[in-house]
Amino acid sequence: MEAIQLEHASKVYHIGKAETHALNDITLSIAEGEFTALVGPSGSGKTTLLQLIGCLDKPDQGVVKIKGQDVTRFNANQRADLRRESIGFVFQFFALIPVLTAYENVELPLLLSNIKASERRERVLDLLNAVGLTDRANHRPDQMSGGQQQRVAIARALATRPILVLADEPTANLDTANGQQAMEIMQRLNQETGTAFVFATHDPRVVAYARRVVQLRDGSVVDNGMPH
Amino acid sequence: MPLSKLWIFAFRDLGRNRRRSLFTLIAIALGIGLLIIMNGFIAGVMEDSLQNSIRLKTGHLQIRAPSYAEEQLSLQWSDLLSDPDVLAAQARALPEVKAAAPVLWASGLLATINDSAGLQVYGIEPESSIYDPIRAALVDGAYLTADDRSGILIGKRLADSLNIGVGQKVSLVIVSAEQQTDEGIFTIRGLFTTGIPSYDQSAALMPISKAQAFTNTAGRASAMVILLNNQDDTDRVAAGLQSQGHTVLTWSDLNQLFIQAIQTGMSFYLLLDGIVMLIVAVIIANTLLMSVFERIREMGIHSALGLRGQHLMQLFLLEAACLGFAGIVVGLVLGLAGVGYLATVGIAIGDMASAAGGSMTLGTTMRARFVPGTFALLSLMTFLIILAASLYPAWFAAHLEPAEALRS
Repeated sequence: MEAIQLEHASKVYHIGKAETHALNDITLSIAEGEFTALVGPSGSGKTTLLQLIGCLDKPDQGVVKIKGQDVTRFNANQRADLRRESIGFVFQFFALIPVLTAYENVELPLLLSNIKASERRERVLDLLNAVGLTDRANHRPDQMSGGQQQRVAIARALATRPILVLADEPTANLDTANGQQAMEIMQRLNQETGTAFVFATHDPRVVAYARRVVQLRDGSVVDNGMPH
Repeated sequence: MPLSKLWIFAFRDLGRNRRRSLFTLIAIALGIGLLIIMNGFIAGVMEDSLQNSIRLKTGHLQIRAPSYAEEQLSLQWSDLLSDPDVLAAQARALPEVKAAAPVLWASGLLATINDSAGLQVYGIEPESSIYDPIRAALVDGAYLTADDRSGILIGKRLADSLNIGVGQKVSLVIVSAEQQTDEGIFTIRGLFTTGIPSYDQSAALMPISKAQAFTNTAGRASAMVILLNNQDDTDRVAAGLQSQGHTVLTWSDLNQLFIQAIQTGMSFYLLLDGIVMLIVAVIIANTLLMSVFERIREMGIHSALGLRGQHLMQLFLLEAACLGFAGIVVGLVLGLAGVGYLATVGIAIGDMASAAGGSMTLGTTMRARFVPGTFALLSLMTFLIILAASLYPAWFAAHLEPAEALRS
């Protein structure tokens, strides 16, 4: 079943009087449980595409559907609710809340979803265990390495058991070993939980983990990674 | 999201930039402390001045003849009360009345061989408790007795300025009821220092019977002065004493000029209060705006995680509330300590400044006063203004586009 469908989606950014066509008429489907890489050079539209899929932004034209729902018609609160319930995010810059511990960062989406305390605790500890950070539960981001912070971010992305995790250059700020570890964790969790992962990257070592590779160039899909 | 968790986040967020939060807290604390000291002080000065006037001059109530003109200190019989003893008995019969006594006022000139001074003559019932403050203020000589036919009391300040003392004879000139100038020789029986230089400089007291004889007013009085056990009973007692042929004036009527001065002063103080609150509001808005701008990307992360705009708004309002509450608590402690000091020690302004107070019966030391209702209102107003000032930064955070925030 399709988790995400984009139909003729376009996005234009206006900077002063200049127009930048970030995405041009994108049509793309991502099925449940996929482990897909979006690849392309800088400026090819990878991040913009992830933001449209993640309901962080709206296309200027076209439709984005998540589990069959046209989310382009959603208002800001509906999109926030959808993100909270169905989509996890991993960012290049780790993106943990600095005043919260690793435990609290993973717990945050569950708090937003009003999950009861005992279940929250169980899920958070399971996820920290899954990313190998049980012993860092009470550490704040500034007390952890970059690799550890990104693992906490992965655990947080999966906390609400979303159908989809979007990762924007998840290894860009990690050394090779930590990048490899992060990718292996995402790959394992994809297989264990069935959550679809879509990650933007231009690192060939990261692309190697993907089961499907979507290639972008100048805001257009040049190869959707599906067999012809 | 539970509010209890938002509180914790808000509290921790304030710890990110401790120095900035501390300085903001200090600014709020100083602002509220200043407001409390300022308002406590002005309330103390105003209330003391009013009570001095009531205690030494006006009483809580006065009954007068309708035609009596206070500024002229008229001694015309038609302007005076013809039945002061009856009125006094009626007033004393009321349970709310602490003391009631007739008084006769006249303007006069006190002269020695070398010098003279204009003053107001008070014909009083010396035994009445209305004049306990004068009895208590006696610093030299003896107090008056009702049958004293030649003694007067004057303020030590006046005595010093005329270079006279207890036992010395002075000439007192008045204009009698028949508009004729009469002179009498009196002996300085005693000197008082009430702490109110304007009164000590310009009052001469003698028994009312002597004053009536001296002014040829034949048992009449300028007014019946009434002191109440409780000032709050004024209007009720005034209503009970209303009768044809008499005018009943309350302490607020009698101190109208002073009360108008208070009201004018208070509007000025309200303006100052507003300025201080505005400064506090600008500081808090600035702090929160800086905090928002520093955390735009974080707002994007919060949005990505599904935090709604209203939650982000609540988060910043709670930060402002935490900071404001802490600042107000510290400010209250500072302000109350300041008011406590000024209520106990006060600020000495000296005789000259005090005497220059015009219609205000200022003492030589101005003291603050605890006014819990005002302090609570100021704290509440400041808190609300802090919240209002944080609305824009909170609104700004709530309306950030997630994608744009993440790009920042």
